[in-house]
Amino acid sequence: MKGKKLWGFGMAAVMLASMFTGKISAEASGDKDVVTALLPPVSATYQDKINSYVEAFNKENPGIEIQVTTASWEDVTQKLDVQVNAGSPPDIAFIGSDGLSKYVDSGMAVDISKYADEEMMADFDQDILNYFKNGDGMYGFPAYCEVQCIGGNRQFLEEAGIDWKKVQEEGWSYDEFREAINNGVVKDGDDVSRYGFLFACAGVTAKDYFSIFVRNAGMPSAFDKDLKYSYTSTKMLDFLTDLRALIDDGAMPKELGSIDAGKRWNMFLTGQTMITGKGLSSFEKSARDNNEKLKNSDSSAVENSIEVDYIVLPVPVFDGGEQQAYGAVDGYICLTGERNPDEEHLKNVAKVAYYLASGERAAQTCQELYLNPICESGRKAYDELSPIEGKNEDNTKAVQTLLTQVGEARPDIPAELSANAIKIEDEVIVPKFQGLLAGEVSPEEMYQAIKDAAYERFGEDGCVNN
Amino acid sequence: MGLYKNYGKNQRYRKILRNLLLALLLITIAALTIFPIYYMVISSFGAPTEAAGASYSLIPKNFTLDSYKFFFGYSKYSFRWILNSLIVASTVTVSNVVFASLAGYAFAKLRFPGCKFFFFLLLVAMMVPYQVTQVPLYILVVNVLKIQDTYTALIAPTLITCYNVFLAKQFFTSLPTSIMESAKIEGCSQPMIVWKIVVPLSKTILSVMAIMTFLGEWNTFFWPFLVSNQEYMQTIQVGLKNFSFANTTYFAPMMAGATISALPMFILFFSLQRYFLEGVTVGAVKG
Amino acid sequence: MQYPLEREKTMANKKHKLKKDALWGYVFILVPLTTFIIFTLYPVISAAITSFQHYKPLKTTWVGFDNYVSTFKNALFYKALKNTLVYTVFAVPISMFLSFSISLFILPFKKRVQTIFKAAFYLPAIASGVALSFVWKWIYDPMPTGLLNSILHIFGISSQNWLGSSKTAMASLIIMAVFSGLGTSIIIYIAALLGIDSTYYEAADIDGASFFQKVRYVVWPMVKPTTVFLAITGVINGFQSFQNAYLMTGGGPDNATTMAGLLIFNRAFKYFEYGEACAQALILAAIIAVFAVFQFKLSANDVEY
Repeated sequence: MKGKKLWGFGMAAVMLASMFTGKISAEASGDKDVVTALLPPVSATYQDKINSYVEAFNKENPGIEIQVTTASWEDVTQKLDVQVNAGSPPDIAFIGSDGLSKYVDSGMAVDISKYADEEMMADFDQDILNYFKNGDGMYGFPAYCEVQCIGGNRQFLEEAGIDWKKVQEEGWSYDEFREAINNGVVKDGDDVSRYGFLFACAGVTAKDYFSIFVRNAGMPSAFDKDLKYSYTSTKMLDFLTDLRALIDDGAMPKELGSIDAGKRWNMFLTGQTMITGKGLSSFEKSARDNNEKLKNSDSSAVENSIEVDYIVLPVPVFDGGEQQAYGAVDGYICLTGERNPDEEHLKNVAKVAYYLASGERAAQTCQELYLNPICESGRKAYDELSPIEGKNEDNTKAVQTLLTQVGEARPDIPAELSANAIKIEDEVIVPKFQGLLAGEVSPEEMYQAIKDAAYERFGEDGCVNN
Repeated sequence: MGLYKNYGKNQRYRKILRNLLLALLLITIAALTIFPIYYMVISSFGAPTEAAGASYSLIPKNFTLDSYKFFFGYSKYSFRWILNSLIVASTVTVSNVVFASLAGYAFAKLRFPGCKFFFFLLLVAMMVPYQVTQVPLYILVVNVLKIQDTYTALIAPTLITCYNVFLAKQFFTSLPTSIMESAKIEGCSQPMIVWKIVVPLSKTILSVMAIMTFLGEWNTFFWPFLVSNQEYMQTIQVGLKNFSFANTTYFAPMMAGATISALPMFILFFSLQRYFLEGVTVGAVKG
Repeated sequence: MQYPLEREKTMANKKHKLKKDALWGYVFILVPLTTFIIFTLYPVISAAITSFQHYKPLKTTWVGFDNYVSTFKNALFYKALKNTLVYTVFAVPISMFLSFSISLFILPFKKRVQTIFKAAFYLPAIASGVALSFVWKWIYDPMPTGLLNSILHIFGISSQNWLGSSKTAMASLIIMAVFSGLGTSIIIYIAALLGIDSTYYEAADIDGASFFQKVRYVVWPMVKPTTVFLAITGVINGFQSFQNAYLMTGGGPDNATTMAGLLIFNRAFKYFEYGEACAQALILAAIIAVFAVFQFKLSANDVEY
């Protein structure tokens, strides 16, 4: 009984203490202008580096103090979205540019073109900077443009008779691709021991497969130049039929719809697939790290893995389409929850956002992700970094080519139209596509469902009909 | 033991046979439920590789403590996270056991104007999904009270949960009203009845409530994640999630973290087991 | 036989006692009710108000019943409600039946053995959330090397695409839910079982009751409040759940596992249509309430509420 009472007292003491420590932590930062930023671990060492970036900035700008909050990739959007709904977002947040219109529509995004200096805006490649524009406003700075494509196992590609260097330079058509991945299949009796192609499609990631490939099928965006919804085009039906054929051929596993990103990479490293998706440039590094471990017979190498040379490959071009690359442009958006924000503060916010997106920061982040910087100051700083050892030059060249093919940004699409397109994507396209991959929905049914949903939201006149 | 048949001496083998069969069944189910925790522990001793290297195997291939070092070396706040979780979970547990049982008793055994209404309100509030109540709650705590990054913010919303009030009420309902009546006639005041009769009779459920509350609070992620911006105010679950990096996850260290964070729960469970096995019955008190 | 005056006196006495009890009732619920009003009721009321608004943090406008109207016009909302209903209607009773049986089976053992079993059933689900999600992915791995598939192979059954096919996806999620929630129900049930006085069993023994008769006529009525608690909280959790479905299947294939909770979540955060999210949430809460009232009514026969 005595022990229990003591415990109770202890708890009460802790409770009291907690109230006090709570108060202390809310110390004011003096008369410095505080700029808050919510950031995910952009690259593997970003979290370590961000502190020194912030320190350097705070030293250089005694009037401004950056306060950083970090959150994992899965949760960062959740936190930001609650904060935005509550009307108290951080000043700066790291987002994918595809989410831009939603924050603009919420009324919380700040058009920083009025507050940022001309040189800041001129520093960036304009095509990429456009990804952070909506209508006439510019709402942030891009950190990088990550080309998302597919990647192959060099040895297997060569065994299947694929001239991958030529593909890297000139791209390939759907028919060439289909033949290639069929050649890549290896059978062990009736069981397939190696698939020609595998794309992680579990759950919501099915969306990646759809959106990365659909660009090369003549539908680079959900809306064409006249702002008509483009996925109702008959090209969509052909595209879906073509994708389904890859599974029916046996070149892709029929369980595609429940293979997640981890499993897909595991199957690539263990030699169970020739071409994998989605492919990022940094996979070259992951594969090489594992090769290194295999060589040293390090037990932390992936179990049953084999030595793999990762080769960057472009997405095949479908009938009626042209070569395009899917570029994921991520960066720093500026937000405010104030009705009448202080101009001086917004200038500081723009300054911090630019600081994070440019120069050394951009160079280091890009190098770690095996990307090329997208701003002049970043490229300058990049050249001064010690180059990556053993980087595959062919891959570097291929990524550079792809970067020039990244589809243009569409700031002309009004927020309301994109909101409707996103809903169709979430509620019709992705679910039906999952059904298509599982063999439960035919391409015709899916196409019809997209058409029905689009006609309902945009009217027949608002859609492409050919 | 009244529910099961008491076999006489010459039928002992039947009792053994019965218990053996039951044990076999329970062990089979236990093997299934224990599996994840077994997997967690063995994976935590693996090398700190990325998630694609997550070995799906039943037997550990190698043994290293690297992941534990990695976890504690990862942030200077690793210990602080555990301490924060301890403070939050303990406070919430104590306040729930005390106040939820008081309220539960009031709703179960006392009649006062509005008691049905208040109880109904409690239940209805539980039915509104969290997705839409978290925004007003966030506005209240962060925008109005301005108490983010404090223990108060972490603790306050779960100080007394409707779930526990409901649980307590349901249990106290089945306590016989007659003992309380006779205690009242003997001049016992309501607080005395709670202390001398209800609490001793409900040790089992109160310790179950304590454990469930502590473990629930220990595991909760989203709310602490929302209201803690500073690393030193994060709880262990929020800190653990930081192991997920850009496109990879450090699998073994994550499991090591999970194992470390599970330890206090085990300690609490086994230290409270005495209470939840006693099974105090009315007969025991009367007798 | 009492004199009228004396009788009046006892009545007054009783009334006085009742008043005092009522006072204590208010004292006991004071603190819980205060925190409840601030941290639970206020957000609920705020959400209810928002359901009649077109909510934008900086410029909110009143729209009357628009949010409700558009919800009722949304075909996907009905499909999600149906999925949620199927999920709950299967997961809750199965989980309760299993946990009740397991709790009964644990009883004849020695205290120490009981603890070990309780720990084995309860702790894993609680203590290893991260590991659990990995293990379930492994179990439902669609390739022949998946855990469940390799077991089925032993019996000559071919590989199933557990989460990828609309035939098995929902069932897979229900099994996962049942297993994950079992531990909590078991320890609550055991607490209830241990509170049953042995005199009841003795009385039943005298009547020559069999094991099943004792379960039916002694145990079942005695644990009824617990059963009601588990049923109602189970229904609440079931109707609100969406995270597992979202993580494991993303709602697919073809919306076969899209839950109402996911739609609410998407409205509130993915599309920033917080007003409509609130409307959907309140509709869902109303459905849960109907279920809860139904359950209370069903069980009200011999237990007083």
